[in-house]
Amino acid sequence: MATPENVKDIIQYVPFTSFVNPSFWHSFTDIKFNVDKLSENTKQIYGRFSYANDIGPVFEVDGTAFNKQPEAELMYLSIRGTLMNKNTIDDFKSIDKASLLNSIGEIIWHNSIITRLWMCNPSCLLNFFILSFADLKKYHYYYWFAFPTPSQPTVFLKEKSKSILTEFNESEIRTISQNYQLLHHSQRCFFVIRKENETVKVETLSNIFNRTDNTCNLDISSVYFAFTDPSNNGNPGWPLRIFLAALLEYSAIFHGSVIKVIGIRSSKEVGCQSSQIFNVMLPENVQCLQKLGWVGWERNDRGNFGPKLSDMSASMSPKKLAAESADLNIKLMQWRLVPDLNIEIMKNTKCLLIGAGTLGCQVARNLLAWGFRHIHFVDKGKVSYSNPTRQVLYTYHDCRDGGKNKVDAAAESLLSIHPDVNTGGLIAHIPMPGHPVGESLKAETILNIERLTEEIRAHDVIFLLLDTREARWLPTLIAADLGKIVINSALGFDSYLVMRHGIWSPNPESTTIHSTYVPGDQVGCYFCNDVTAPGNSQKDRTLDQQCTVTRPGVAAIAGALAVELLASLLQHKLGVRAPAPYNISDEMIDPEFEGVLGPVPHSIRGFLHSYQTVVPTYRKFKQCIACSEVVIDNYRKEGINFLLNVFNSGTYLEEVTGLTELQLTAEMSEVLTFSDEDQDTDE
Amino acid sequence: MRPSSSQATGISPETFVYAARDFIELSDKYMDSWTIYQNDNEILSTHLKREEFISHRDQTGKVFLYRAEYVIFYNLSYGVPSFSFNVWDCTGKLLTLEQVRDISLMKTRKEDFFSVVTQQEHPVLYKPYFIIHPCHTAELLSMFRKTSKNLIITFLSLITPLIQLNLPLEYGLL
Repeated sequence: MATPENVKDIIQYVPFTSFVNPSFWHSFTDIKFNVDKLSENTKQIYGRFSYANDIGPVFEVDGTAFNKQPEAELMYLSIRGTLMNKNTIDDFKSIDKASLLNSIGEIIWHNSIITRLWMCNPSCLLNFFILSFADLKKYHYYYWFAFPTPSQPTVFLKEKSKSILTEFNESEIRTISQNYQLLHHSQRCFFVIRKENETVKVETLSNIFNRTDNTCNLDISSVYFAFTDPSNNGNPGWPLRIFLAALLEYSAIFHGSVIKVIGIRSSKEVGCQSSQIFNVMLPENVQCLQKLGWVGWERNDRGNFGPKLSDMSASMSPKKLAAESADLNIKLMQWRLVPDLNIEIMKNTKCLLIGAGTLGCQVARNLLAWGFRHIHFVDKGKVSYSNPTRQVLYTYHDCRDGGKNKVDAAAESLLSIHPDVNTGGLIAHIPMPGHPVGESLKAETILNIERLTEEIRAHDVIFLLLDTREARWLPTLIAADLGKIVINSALGFDSYLVMRHGIWSPNPESTTIHSTYVPGDQVGCYFCNDVTAPGNSQKDRTLDQQCTVTRPGVAAIAGALAVELLASLLQHKLGVRAPAPYNISDEMIDPEFEGVLGPVPHSIRGFLHSYQTVVPTYRKFKQCIACSEVVIDNYRKEGINFLLNVFNSGTYLEEVTGLTELQLTAEMSEVLTFSDEDQDTDE
Repeated sequence: MRPSSSQATGISPETFVYAARDFIELSDKYMDSWTIYQNDNEILSTHLKREEFISHRDQTGKVFLYRAEYVIFYNLSYGVPSFSFNVWDCTGKLLTLEQVRDISLMKTRKEDFFSVVTQQEHPVLYKPYFIIHPCHTAELLSMFRKTSKNLIITFLSLITPLIQLNLPLEYGLL
């Protein structure tokens, strides 16, 4: 049974915790790119630890690690170490860690311990090692610290550690503190404190040990063996372990004896007062230490022996930096001005731009600015020499050699602005009502329709940005059938239209009429205002029918407004069903209309000539040639055949929707009115 | 963006540099660990830096160690000193703004927080840093101009309500 005097605890050394400063990775990467390239070098580097008592046993490396001389820092000891970088993750993983540490230990043993070099230069006992692998595409750094020390001997503490104040008074401690600071840097890690009568002396190891003399005459009970201690609790720090191994190797007088050890910890205010005294019991039987292996690999966050990973991509990867910075702008909007802004919805909304011309380019740019990251195009054209000045995604180089395909050039351009965008395009001609499709083009047309339908299906928002009225018919119908959000924009010479379409709902008859607004799903589409089907608009072009020649500012304004309208719609809690007030400028506007960015109009018409804008609102037209019940039904029942009928005839749609009858009725009522008047005048 | 207040004029870069040099002397005297970086060719790159460890205990009681770096530099657009900082974990990875808030480094309320701190490319160091907005600094500094013993100390006293900086008390006794 153990009596109180025999109770002893095995020394629990406090291991180092590595702490890497980001500048270490910056310098390391610089050197890898510019100096090392692929050569697998081991490098001499510097690290340091603090003996300040308010910080635990943290071992730090930073950008200065690669300097020829270490930086001197207050309350820190610099330690020399080695960085071994592997060029592949497999090399990093497969290298035998235990043998690696043993071979490092061998070198320390032979160079520093059995040569007794440590007596003149104690800092040669302290080493650290970093095994690393750097993935410089992702800026991921795998690393593993080791602090090599012999695994034996097992050493015991005779009693709990106690404060230095129990054996030294305050003035003695002051002397120790001052003399400690006067020690040369290389002597501070391990030294000796002697107390004779009333005087306290701080001495270097070389003062009390003789390198060439194994028979040490020192009375080891009369001195305190001191070491700079990174630990800040009742247990000693890691450096003590190798110090004791070196002492035991040196002389048999240490075997089986008790020595007093001081772990020096310091603070600005009171110097070394927080140092601890350890009564250490050294073992009797000290086998040949060097055969017993070396330890010192650092445990990772989970407490296992394994490497750590530093993911530096957010601050070092240029692509990620670009993405974060772009997102930051939008976040700032949310943080500072509109806390209820939902920015995630922009990122997750997929936009399809049908038309990659003046409007398409403007819309794309503005979508990027709002944080949309999925932008695809549909356009059959190539970039021509007249395009780049007005179509802001294209450059002169896109026009060369016949001109790149617009969808390809647009996608490339977007990627060069923001590498993190999902972009691409479909080259397809959009068939139009009243433009007959001959037999020879039938197969291709059917294929185009199928591909267009798939594109629309795969996106959330469809922008109609084409240059003719009738080309908008087919995508309007497909989008209405598939329930997509549609934003439509068209240009005249000095005027523009930006509007949102309603969506298909199963029971349009049952919706009530409101006096101040139209529910979002009931607003009309681009064609709802027409009583004629879109004819061949190659002649008699009026507003919205001819977009080729416009005042340049009009496209920019309309493109920007189209995206703002979408943003406003997405930020409304009812989304596409957000009500369209008849009167937006009314100050008594019902708060129900407002989304986070305000009310969402149905359409916006601007007139550059007079600098005026109006926001008309109109309901769906029961006999609309694009979005009415009857047209959608026919499309759903007959599919491609219905479409081909529409394309091949200028009047088919009017018959299907009953517009033909409507026109006849209109003509009839004219006649009736005329004859009434006629009767009157005859009186 | 220029400050709208017409009475508050900024300080010149030279004034900043002289104040910074005087401040470093005080920092050394009181054993605070600020360092100064100067370049005679590029006066605008002069800045003061200080690093320290921060420990944070989470809800489960586990303690995490972080390192904070504070940089005081001269903001050319506003003509005043500006305060920037970064915090990283033991692998060298920078903390996000949300994480910085979570470790209670910042003392502002959540609502005010984001109007006070922004993240941008540092105008002197060219790396991402958090910067405390200099909007009101000119006004406040000009109020204390005459009585201030050192501009940097006065500036720091404007920052300490916003961020946990453990500064030696001796600065206040000047």
